[in-house]
Amino acid sequence: MSKILLVEDDEVMPKIMERILHREEYQIDHVTNGKEAFAKLEETNFGYDLIITDIMMPYANGFEILSKVKNRPDAKPIPVIIVSNAGNEDMILEGFKLGADDFLKKPVIPGELLIRVKRLLMQYR
Amino acid sequence: MFSESFSVLFHDFRYAPLIIQIALIFIVIAVVATLLAYLSILVARFRGYRNDKRLSKLQPLIDQLLIEHILMNESLNDPNLLPEQVQLPIEVFDQPVFQKKWARQAMIDRLINFRKNVRGAMGDQIRNLYVQLELDKETLKKMKSGKWEKKVQALYEFTSMDMSIADVTILPLTNSRNRELRAAARHAYIKLSKNEPFKFFDVATEPLLEWDQVELFKIISTTEHIAIPNFAQWITYSSNKSIVSFCLKLIVHYNQLSAVPAVVKLLNTKDHYLRADAINCLGKLKTETVEEKLVYMYDSQPLLCQLEILKALGRISSGKYIDFLRQEFLHATDFEVRKHAAKSIINNQWAAKGLVQELVDTATSENKLILKHSMNPLIKY
Repeated sequence: MSKILLVEDDEVMPKIMERILHREEYQIDHVTNGKEAFAKLEETNFGYDLIITDIMMPYANGFEILSKVKNRPDAKPIPVIIVSNAGNEDMILEGFKLGADDFLKKPVIPGELLIRVKRLLMQYR
Repeated sequence: MFSESFSVLFHDFRYAPLIIQIALIFIVIAVVATLLAYLSILVARFRGYRNDKRLSKLQPLIDQLLIEHILMNESLNDPNLLPEQVQLPIEVFDQPVFQKKWARQAMIDRLINFRKNVRGAMGDQIRNLYVQLELDKETLKKMKSGKWEKKVQALYEFTSMDMSIADVTILPLTNSRNRELRAAARHAYIKLSKNEPFKFFDVATEPLLEWDQVELFKIISTTEHIAIPNFAQWITYSSNKSIVSFCLKLIVHYNQLSAVPAVVKLLNTKDHYLRADAINCLGKLKTETVEEKLVYMYDSQPLLCQLEILKALGRISSGKYIDFLRQEFLHATDFEVRKHAAKSIINNQWAAKGLVQELVDTATSENKLILKHSMNPLIKY
């Protein structure tokens, strides 16, 4: 079973994602801000197969999480998908520069999200 | 006992010196006002607390009904039917709590929140549910309300749910004297009117404020399938200067070269600010044919327009007016003029390679500093 860390401060999005992804038997851990995400990653020793993160969140934003996850030279790479309301060019480019594997703008199409999650998990297996 | 002490107090007050009487009146007013203020804060907080408590119980119920019966209901995904034709199991929402106005409002807010997060079939079903539960009628009531804040809320709800509003209802609001309502109506009109989203430009008499322009620009550039008109029509005919100025920015954004003749005509306007905006637009569109006219009119222009002409020559970068730019850089007394002339010389340096080095070698220390500043690619102005 693949483990997914969902970092999202909106209350509705996690409920939708949990329903979509849980149906496919993914185990989802949900945290509501960057600080909790860092704590969760440290606690599990980065033991996730995929991270889905928003950008604008309290304490630490999605870019900080992304750069921390992607700057671990000898560790197992973890794919990161950014799901955000902020869809301007600069944000998207910044995300990809920092190593994001995918960028989805809200509102998302659930089926599309599921396919992208599956594709990345297969790619990194 | 009470009446006795009251009559003593009244007696003391009546025969007290005037200054003491005035002071006492002020003290009483201040104490009563403070008590009222505290009371109103307490009432507002209590209402907020009660509302939060009610919502904390209701929202999980709404979420559960929505996810279980609508969003995750596979039986609703009939490919042969349009989303609005699907009959949703709305009987699950037929509960006493949803008869209450506040609960129906909570439902609308939640549906909007869901629609902000998902689109596609799920998004369509949320909109479908909004219509089938007749929540659009609640919104329409708000739209007809005399209070502007209710109208703004209704516009937001209709826009979020992608519901069309009749032009006769919304167009007058785009010209409302209330700034908030006017902005909300304009945003809603652009989002909801698929054929002529900019029709309100024709009737707008109130100015588009800077912040309105930022918001409108964001909506225009992010709304999908929007019909983009030729903005030259408003440049030519609109008497609202803020609309003309905004259209100039949109012409640049959409690179509407067909609008260039209308923008060139605007160079003859008496309004300095509009003329500066027109020059800025022509520069950004890299209209080489207009360079000669810009240089010809330069001396008769106010500083604002002169700076825009210098910037335009840099942006167009034809290399034809490098001597003019050199002249301005070396002999102008205004610092801003020299700064923009220098930047435009750097942009035109492909046409006179030795010139920049010559200027660096011979310029005064201040001019040298301006040149080095302009040559730094990280500094943009």
